[in-house]
Amino acid sequence: MTVIQQLNSPFMYMLCGAIVFIVALICVLFLVRAWKEGLALGIEKEKMRRVVVSSAAFTVLPSIGILLGVIALSGSLGVPWPWLRLSVIGALHYETQVAQAAAEAAGLSGLSASEMTLGAFSTICLLMSMCIMWSLILSAVFGKAYSKRLMKGRSAADAEKGSSGGGFGDLAMTAMFVGLISAYIGSYVGGLISGNGRFSFSGNWMPLAVAAAGALAMAVFVWLSEKKKYSWAESFSVAGSMLIAMIAAVALDLIF
Amino acid sequence: MTEEQKYMQFEEYNRTTHRIGRSASVLMAVLLLGAPFMIGWHFGAMPDYGAVFRAYLAIGLVWMISSAAEFLLYFPMLGAGGSYMSFITGNIINLKLPCAINSRDLVGAKAGTAENEIISTISIAVSALVTIVILAIGVMILIPLQPVLQSPVLQPAFDNVVPALFGALAYKYYRGHLDIAIPPLLIMCVLFTFVPSLISSTSMMIIPSGAIAILLAWRKYKKNSGENS
Repeated sequence: MTVIQQLNSPFMYMLCGAIVFIVALICVLFLVRAWKEGLALGIEKEKMRRVVVSSAAFTVLPSIGILLGVIALSGSLGVPWPWLRLSVIGALHYETQVAQAAAEAAGLSGLSASEMTLGAFSTICLLMSMCIMWSLILSAVFGKAYSKRLMKGRSAADAEKGSSGGGFGDLAMTAMFVGLISAYIGSYVGGLISGNGRFSFSGNWMPLAVAAAGALAMAVFVWLSEKKKYSWAESFSVAGSMLIAMIAAVALDLIF
Repeated sequence: MTEEQKYMQFEEYNRTTHRIGRSASVLMAVLLLGAPFMIGWHFGAMPDYGAVFRAYLAIGLVWMISSAAEFLLYFPMLGAGGSYMSFITGNIINLKLPCAINSRDLVGAKAGTAENEIISTISIAVSALVTIVILAIGVMILIPLQPVLQSPVLQPAFDNVVPALFGALAYKYYRGHLDIAIPPLLIMCVLFTFVPSLISSTSMMIIPSGAIAILLAWRKYKKNSGENS
């Protein structure tokens, strides 16, 4: 049996599948509790149903992207471990980078099925788990205290302005998100202008073009939702815009 | 149910959320760290601790700082239930966070309210479950699906999932907040143009970019509060 066959063995599927199953149970538990609490607090069932539909629609495309990450890693690490890593804590941009560094430290020239040994594999698995563990540990240790502190800050601010929520907290979160988007869009602009040498204007233009296509598609969805009053347009605006932008990426690649 | 009773019930809900969240986080940490040792034991090839140490020093410390920043940044945005689940299931920046924000906007929930906590938790739970199901189905049919998904024609689409997402969200968020959005966007464009090596650390640049946006939002908030009072 080759190393890659062992990495795809029933033992690996059972081990990884069992952990993924436990994660799914945890999510179901959170979902059921939140749904019941929402009803008890008087949140309309229809509202929560819209959130379920919108979140599911929103998730489909990025999940296919994540599945591609599993496929990309499956060539060197087998299918079960990348499946586990991208279902639990993992992130597309993280896994390959850490796996590559671990493979090099384990004495391989890189992530390669032909060079992979079982010892190198268990080393890679341990490093992949260790590096991304910290947000999980921090939330377990400090999550409750941090949350209380945040709520306390909000209560004081709300009492001051006599409201039951919103206020600066709401604007701050929108601002944080605006900052996040700005960092990424800025990186696409920088990549185009200086990606292949400062001010060479010969870098990768595709991310910026795809982002522009996504923004344009979103503008159409917003117009349909706000001007034409199509309520479905709002629920599918993000997923729909992403799909259109991704199709644009394929078209642009074929044309240029 | 009176407002007082609702408040008490929500407080109890929050306490239980933290209890379950902490237990689940510890359980997942144990399982994830234990899995490589089980694999090593099963195959008779335990991890090379020296290699793990060397690689951890090279890249692990960066991820440690990044994880700490993620915890501080995302916990207030996702709420308690949403945060525990997001930190367990991952893919926060490219999926869970935008998904939760989208849901919050869809129903008009305000940050810091009980409604926001509930909506965020439902949204992230559904998102995590859909991802788990798609990955499980994908893994089951991986072999016949592989040629289609790995077709070179489709690669640009899947290589650009994140730009597609952030482009769409940029329109959505910028149009109502241009005064907050333009300065960090310009600063980031200039920074990445003059120091292109930063492009590989874009996730770290969220912190200064977010800080600038929050500062501008604070100025706007104070200005509006002053005008209204």
